[in-house]
Order: sequence, then C-alpha cells, then structure tokens
Amino acid sequence: MSNQRRILLAKTALDGHWRGVSVVARALRDAGFEVVMIGMANVDEIVQAAIDEDVDLIGLSVGGHVQVAERAVAALRDEGIEKPVFAGGVIPPHAKRRLEGKGVEVYPPGSQLPDIVAAAERLTGKAPTTEA
Amino acid sequence: MSDSGQERWSKKQWKTFSGIPLKSHYGPEDVPEAHRHGSGSSPGQAPFLRGAYPKGYRTKPWRIFQLSGFGKPEDENERIKFLLSHGETGFLMEHDRNTADHMYNVDHPDVVARREDVGLTGAVMQSVRDIRICLDGIPIESTYGHAGGAVVQHAPFALAGYWTVARQRGLDLERLPGTGQSDFFLTYLGCVTKQQVPTGPGLRFNVDIMEFCDQYLPRWVPVSIAAYNGADTGLNAYQELGVLFANAVEYLDEAQRRGSMSMEAAARAVGGVSFRLTLDVIEEACKLRAARKMWYDLLAERYGVTNEKVMNLRIHCVTSGSMMTYQQPLNNIVRGTLMGLAGVLGGVQSLGVSGYDEALSVPSEHAHQMSVRIQQILQHESNLCAVVDPLGGSHYAEALTAELIERAWEFFEEIQESGGFLACLDSGWLHARAHENQNADLDAQASGERTIVGVTDFTHDDTPFEIDGFTGVDDAFEVATERLQELWRTRDGKAAGAALRNLEKTCRSDANIMPAMMEALDAEVTLGEIGDCFREVFGDWDTPITA
Repeated sequence: MSNQRRILLAKTALDGHWRGVSVVARALRDAGFEVVMIGMANVDEIVQAAIDEDVDLIGLSVGGHVQVAERAVAALRDEGIEKPVFAGGVIPPHAKRRLEGKGVEVYPPGSQLPDIVAAAERLTGKAPTTEA
Repeated sequence: MSDSGQERWSKKQWKTFSGIPLKSHYGPEDVPEAHRHGSGSSPGQAPFLRGAYPKGYRTKPWRIFQLSGFGKPEDENERIKFLLSHGETGFLMEHDRNTADHMYNVDHPDVVARREDVGLTGAVMQSVRDIRICLDGIPIESTYGHAGGAVVQHAPFALAGYWTVARQRGLDLERLPGTGQSDFFLTYLGCVTKQQVPTGPGLRFNVDIMEFCDQYLPRWVPVSIAAYNGADTGLNAYQELGVLFANAVEYLDEAQRRGSMSMEAAARAVGGVSFRLTLDVIEEACKLRAARKMWYDLLAERYGVTNEKVMNLRIHCVTSGSMMTYQQPLNNIVRGTLMGLAGVLGGVQSLGVSGYDEALSVPSEHAHQMSVRIQQILQHESNLCAVVDPLGGSHYAEALTAELIERAWEFFEEIQESGGFLACLDSGWLHARAHENQNADLDAQASGERTIVGVTDFTHDDTPFEIDGFTGVDDAFEVATERLQELWRTRDGKAAGAALRNLEKTCRSDANIMPAMMEALDAEVTLGEIGDCFREVFGDWDTPITA
C-alpha cells in the first residue's frame, strides 16, 4: 500500500454541480487510487493541497470559465510542482484546446469512466489493476 | 449492427429508465383494478390524471419558457428580448451562480479568486439597480416572468428585487404574474454551494414567501418545487415523484403549523412544480399523469382540501440537461424534441427545452432559438395539441402510470420513515440514493448495456458544422465591480443601513422576512450585505456530501 498513487480532486468554480467529480472520485478509488477531494477550492488552496498531500496527479473539475484552471496550472508550475493535471466538466471545445495547449488532458461530458481511470494510471505510472 | 451489437440487443433487459421491468405488450389485465377510477375520468376532472384542463392545449398551449442569462444585466436583458421576439411566451432570469447562490458581492475574496467565472451562467445582480437594467423594456405586467432565485437563500432577494422594480414602475403587485423557484433540490442536493443557510431557515424563507404572496401577490406562484434538480442528480422517475411530494408536505405542514394561511391558499402556493423529462418518452409522460393524481390524493387525504382548483397540479418541465451529449451536439436537437414530446404527451403547462449545446456551455443565441423552434414545431406542426391525454386508455400507459404511483408512494413513505424530506437532505440519505443511480448508469454505459449515440456507439462524425460552445462576455466582473463602487458612492447610506438593521432584527424574530426584504431592496441594500446578515443570524448548512 505504501506506493498507492494519490490524486487530488478540486472544483475550480463556485458552482455546486458535484455529480461529475463525485463519480470520477468513486471510479478512481475503486481502481485503487487514494483520492484527496478538497471540493471547491481557489488557486492557492489547490497549490497548497498539492504540496501538503504530496499527490501524483491533480484533477480539476471545471464548471466555469477555463481561465481559473489555467491559473491553477501556472501556479502549480511556479511552485515547482510538475505533476500532471487532468480536467473534466462542461469545457467547450475552444476552452478544451486552450487547456490542452497547457499540457492538461481534458475529459468532457460523455467521457467513460474506464478511460478516465486508464488516463490516471498512465499519468501516474501506476500499473493497471487486473480487476476494476 | 455489428455482431457484438446484435448480441447486446438480443440480451437486452427491457425496462423503463427507472428500472420497472417491461413486458413486450400490455393488455387490459395489466391495469390494476384500483387504478381504473383515475384512468376512467375525463381530462380536467378530478383526480386530474388525464390532464389539467378539459380541452387541454386547444384552450391554451403550454408556455414556452427557457432559462436564460449570462454576463452583465444588459447582456441578459438582450437575450431575454431575443427569446421573446422569437416566440418565447415567458422568460426566466438566471443570476450569476458565483455571487447569487452564495449571496456574495463581487468583491468577496471567494469571488475575486474566480473573477473570470463571474457572469458565466447568469447575470451579476447585486442590487435592485442591476435587476432594473435586466428588466429594462420588458413588459412584466403582461409577461410571465421568473425572477430567478433558484437557490433558497437567494430567493427572497431575487423576488423582492423583481417586485421592487415592478413597484417602482407603478405596477400593481396584486396583478403581477410570475414565479420564483427557491428550490430545495437545487440548493441542498443537485447544486450544493460552498455556503448556504441550513434547511430549517430555508423552510422558513419559503413559507414566508408563500404567506407574503398570499397577502400581496395572488397571481404569483411563490415557490416552485423543482424535482428536476433531484432527478438530474440521479433520482429516477418514481423517486422524483415521491420526493417531490415529500418536499411539498414540508411546506404544507409548516403552513398548517403556522395557521397564518388557509390550507387552500398553501396548496395553491405549492401546486406549481417542475419535473425533468428524459428520453424514456412513455415513462415520463406517465410520470406527469401520475403526479397530478398523487397531488389530488395527497391534498384530499392528508389535508382534507376539497377545492378542486388548487388540487389541479400545474406542471413545468425541463428536458434533461444530463442527457444532452458533448459529442455530436446536433443530435441533441432530436433528443430535445423527444423529451419535449414526452412532456406534451403528459400534459405540461410550461416547457423548457435544453439547448443543443447544453453539454458544452450555456446556450448560444442559435441554440436558444432552436429550443424555441422545437417547441413551436411541437405546438404548430405536429397536431399534438388536438387531443388531450393521447396515451389515456393505452394498456401500457395505464399500467405504467399505476406502477409509478405505487412505487412513488413507497419512496415517499421511506423518506417519512427516515425522518422526512429535510432530515433526508441533512443526513445525506437522498444524496446517497442519487449517487447509487449515477453509478449504476455509468456502469451500464461502460458495460454496453446502455447505448448513447455518438458517445458509447456510433461515434464517427462527419459534420460540417463546428459547434464550439458559447463564449459569453469577458467584462462581467469588471462592470459589476464598477457598479458596486458607484452604488457605495451614490446610494443613501443611512437609509440602506437602517433597512439592513431592520432586516437583521426581523431575521432574529419570528416575523415574516419579506416586508423587511422589500424595504431593503428598495433602499438599495446589496446582495452581499444581505448574505452577511443571513450568515450571521442563521449560520451555515453542514453539507453531507463527503465524496
């Protein structure tokens, strides 16, 4: 268990739609990840949690404009945190391209949970579990 | 179909979206004896299972009622006028979620930290001045308006703001048509905010609004239970029915306990509700038939109400946002049409069809126009308005309606046994039910049991139309900040302070908060100041979501 991969999940917006992020959290836990869910968090809180929790991957639930997520990524890098970031939520194609340009993998509505789990395994270098 | 597709089809378990097993065909023996009284009645006749009005849409077509709002109040004003000019027959104001749902002004640190998000999903309205801009040039005396205030703690502000604008225009509140929402499902289940008054004060607010409307705004629908928000969070069709009435009895019991309004008046206040429509067309149509009968029976049996006018449930529906796909978004025009059809077959009084870009962004002008056009095609081209309750008498529809009623009352009882609706929100019991269904649905997609065109299957897209999502405006935060500064400079600070102190005093008493709220809005007290007052007096809801 000591090398269990840790994933931070945060909502960037002050918008309470929690359905997406909660099902993703469940799927990641079921796949053997330790999920640190901090809910609605601003950029500083996301960076602090990424440091404190020493996570391997940062997941952003984006229910607003994508600029806040972009600032979060920039702030993480400024702090020297080079861990990968992936994002989900109602992210229109134009905003998806922007985030992808910053190295963020984007999983919009309709993304299937096995694909999100596979991405988390790839991004954290975790060997896939044989039984989900 | 591919081989695996054929295999999946042959192994398919046929059932409704809510999980009710389906036979391949139905006969008269499938309709329970006890159900025949309701199904044998005429439309517009108790228990109203077959429709609210004897001649249905011949008398009055359903209201075309679309959610709208983004950016600055003037952006929202422009979009509302756009929709009305395209044939919308009511309008629905959305306030910015960041500020409104949390009762924060734009200078609150939590908002400043997300300044780019401000105005994304509704216009920023911090004082009555902003609401005035949003309503500029809109004939609210003759147009059915929804003042916003979907979230419980925000409703008193949104309603008082709308009514204050009406008053300042010299309109008679006694004649003002419209509605608000103050919905417990959105607030405490579907869209849980960072900060919110607890459910107890929330119940007080809603019953205060009901009393205030009973006294001063008889044409206004004071609260609208939006089970939609529970359903799109995961509750299935019969759970949605059961939980809606579990919510209704909280309001009605509180009104009865206070004794300040008649049960008839309370029933009138609560009897305008909203449901979700999914793509299970027949189940959804039956759900609306079931809802009308359940409301009638609830009022008769639990409260002894006999006035049939208030026992006739009025239903607004919105097509399921979560069924709209990000992939191949033009397919959503068909989905919107089918879900809208379900509502029409079930006899809705009012309908909103989600934009085809629902999964991408708030609606673009064109997506909004399409939502209105879908409804106009249903009204004017399809001949669906000719006959009331076209499913009535179908063995399948009657059997399914009966089954939904039975399961819905069981769920209602389960909620009562778990302490009632408010207790089930406070404890997270309802969240757990919704979560179970969300997970089951996603597992069904992953296993191939549930097909979503363009998402799980048929994913190849050759469209020449690129739908990129609506971008909104980028100056909502700046303009709101300037307007707040201007308000501090130019309002009568003494009057605002006095009104705010009076509001706080009222909140600490047992008195109805709405008269003080009206004074506060008239004195240009802001959203954030009222929010601070609520936080001080009522504290914060302890959210049971522990994802």
